[in-house]
Amino acid sequence: MLRKTHAQRLALAVVGLVVALVFFFPTYWMFTTALKTPAQILSPAYDLIPLSATFKNFVNAVTKPGFTTFLTNSLIVTLGAVACSLIAGMLAAVPLARLRFRGRKGFLLLVLIAQVAPLEALFIPMYLIMRDADLLNELPGLILVYVALTLPFTVWTLRGFVKGIPVELEEAGMVDGCGRWGVFRRITLPLLGPGLVATSVFGFITAWNEFLYGLVFMRDKDKQTLPVWLSTFKTAFGTDWGGIMAASVVYAIPALIFFLLVQRKLVSGGTAGAVKG
Amino acid sequence: MTTTVDTARSAGTPPPAARPGARRRARRPLADVAVPYLMMLPAVVLIVALLGWPAIQVLLISFRKLDLGELVKGKVVWVGFDNYTNVLSDPGFWEIGLRTVLFTAGAVVATLLLGLGIALLMRHLSRWVRIVLQVSLVLAWATPIIATTTVFQWIFDQQYGILNKTLVKLGFDSFQGHSWFSTGGDVLIVIGLLVVWQAVPFIAFTLYAGLIGTSKDLYEAVALDGAGGWQAFRAVSWPAVKPLLTMVTFLSVLWDFKVIAQVWAMRQGGPDGGSTTLPVLLYLRGIAASHFGIASAVAVLMLIVLVAITWRYMRLLIRSPETEL
Repeated sequence: MLRKTHAQRLALAVVGLVVALVFFFPTYWMFTTALKTPAQILSPAYDLIPLSATFKNFVNAVTKPGFTTFLTNSLIVTLGAVACSLIAGMLAAVPLARLRFRGRKGFLLLVLIAQVAPLEALFIPMYLIMRDADLLNELPGLILVYVALTLPFTVWTLRGFVKGIPVELEEAGMVDGCGRWGVFRRITLPLLGPGLVATSVFGFITAWNEFLYGLVFMRDKDKQTLPVWLSTFKTAFGTDWGGIMAASVVYAIPALIFFLLVQRKLVSGGTAGAVKG
Repeated sequence: MTTTVDTARSAGTPPPAARPGARRRARRPLADVAVPYLMMLPAVVLIVALLGWPAIQVLLISFRKLDLGELVKGKVVWVGFDNYTNVLSDPGFWEIGLRTVLFTAGAVVATLLLGLGIALLMRHLSRWVRIVLQVSLVLAWATPIIATTTVFQWIFDQQYGILNKTLVKLGFDSFQGHSWFSTGGDVLIVIGLLVVWQAVPFIAFTLYAGLIGTSKDLYEAVALDGAGGWQAFRAVSWPAVKPLLTMVTFLSVLWDFKVIAQVWAMRQGGPDGGSTTLPVLLYLRGIAASHFGIASAVAVLMLIVLVAITWRYMRLLIRSPETEL
C-alpha cells in the first residue's frame, strides 16, 4: 500500500476529484446562478460555466422589501447572543479551569448535558415561556434562545483554552504584585485572544444558521430573520432563481468567511471531546 | 452544633485528615470562597432558566390540556396521561415515528460510510488533490443550512434544474420535466441527500484527524509483515478511528433525528404530510394548531428516544479521562 503503481495513483486522484466536485458543485452553482441573467437561467441551454456575469440579481435581492430589516435582525440577534455567551462563558470558564471549589464537577456535568440538550424538542415550552414574558416577536427573546444555544459550548471550549495557558505565567504575575484582576487583564486575557475569537466565531455561525426558533418566535413579518425569510423565497421571488441564489449568497457569505477563518480549530475542536480507548 | 459535627467526623473519617482541610477553609475569607460561585452565576442562571426550566415545563405541560382556550384564560387543566394515549393511539404518529427512524438510520449510515470512505481516501491522495478535496468539503460544511436548502431546490427544479438537464443530456430522456418532489418519499430522499452532503465533511475531517494520528511506521511495519490493504486497515486504521467513529455515530444520530430546518424549508412536510417527521409534527401540532399539551407529549416521547439512544455516549463522555471533569 505504500508503493502504488502509476495507474492506482491516477485512479485515486480521479476518485478524489469526482468527490471534490460533488461537494463543490452546489455552492458553485449558487454563486454562478446568482451571476446569470433571467434569460440565461430559464433557458434549456446547458451552461455549466457562465460566460458573462451580471450583478442585477444582487441588486434585486438586496432591494426586496424588508431585506435590510431581516439582515439587521439577523445581525442583532446573532451578535447579541454571541456577546452575552462570551461574557457569561468567560466568567464561568476561568474558575472551572483554574479554581478548586465544591460543586465544580456538578457544574461541568450541567454544561456537558446542556451541550447536547436538543433545543428542537423544547420549543413548545420555550414559546409559552416567552409568551408569558412578552418576548415573542421581540429580538431579545430570540437572543436569549441563541444564548442557550451557544453558551454551553462557549463555556466548554473557553475552559479548554484557559487550561491551555501555562499556570506558571499567572503565578509569575501574582509574584510580581499584580492582583487577581491584574493577572487576568494583563496575562490571561491577551493570551486567550485567539481562543475568544475562535469561540465567538463558532457561536456566530451557530446562531446565524438557526432557523426553527426564528420561525416559531417571530410571527410579525418585520421581525423575521434572514434564514426564515429565505425559506419563504417562493412568495418573495416567485421563480426568480437568480434573485433567490443572490439572496442565498448574501446570507452565506458572512458564515463562509468566518468559517474559513477558524476551520482548522473547528476540526481539532471536534475531536477534542472524543472518547478515546 | 460543633460537637455533633465533630463526633460524626471522628466516627467516619480519621480526624487528622479532615481537620487541616477544615482549618484551611476556615482561614479563607468568605469573599474568596464566594468568588468562583459568583463568576459561575450568570452562566448557571442562563442555562437553568433557558434549558432546565423549559425541560421541566415540557414534562409538566405534557400532562395538561393546553389548547388556545386554556392558554388565553390561563386555566390549568391536568389530564394525566390523556395526551400520551391520544398521541400513541394515533396511527399517524406511528407512521411518522417510523418514517423519522428510517430517515435517521438511512442518513446516519450514508454519512458514516461516505465520511469514513473520504477520510481513508484523503490519506492516499497526493497533496494537491487532497487540498482540492478539503477545500470543497469545507465549502459544503460552511454554507448555511437554509442557503443550501434553496440551492438544492434549484438543482432539483423540475423544469430548469441542472440535474434534470444533465440526465437528459446523458440520454435519460424520461427525466425531461421529472419532478423530484411528487411524493413524500421522494422529498425525504432529496432532504436526506442534502443532510448527508452537509454532514459528511465534519465526519470525514474528524476521522481523518484520527487517521493521521496513527504513525506511518505502523503501516510500514504491517506492510513488511506482508499485510494487504484490507489487513492493514483492520490492524492499524480501524483501531485508530473506532473510538472516533463511536462518537460521530452518536452525534449523527442526535443531529439527524431532530432535523427540522431542511425538512420544513424544503416542502413544509408535504406533499400531503408525506415528508413530515417527528420535529415537523411537533411544530404542526404545537405552534400551527395550538395543541400545546399534545405537542409536549410528542416532545417528551422524542426526548425519551434521544436519551435512550445517547445514554451510552453520555456515559462514555463523562467517564472519559479527556473530559477531566
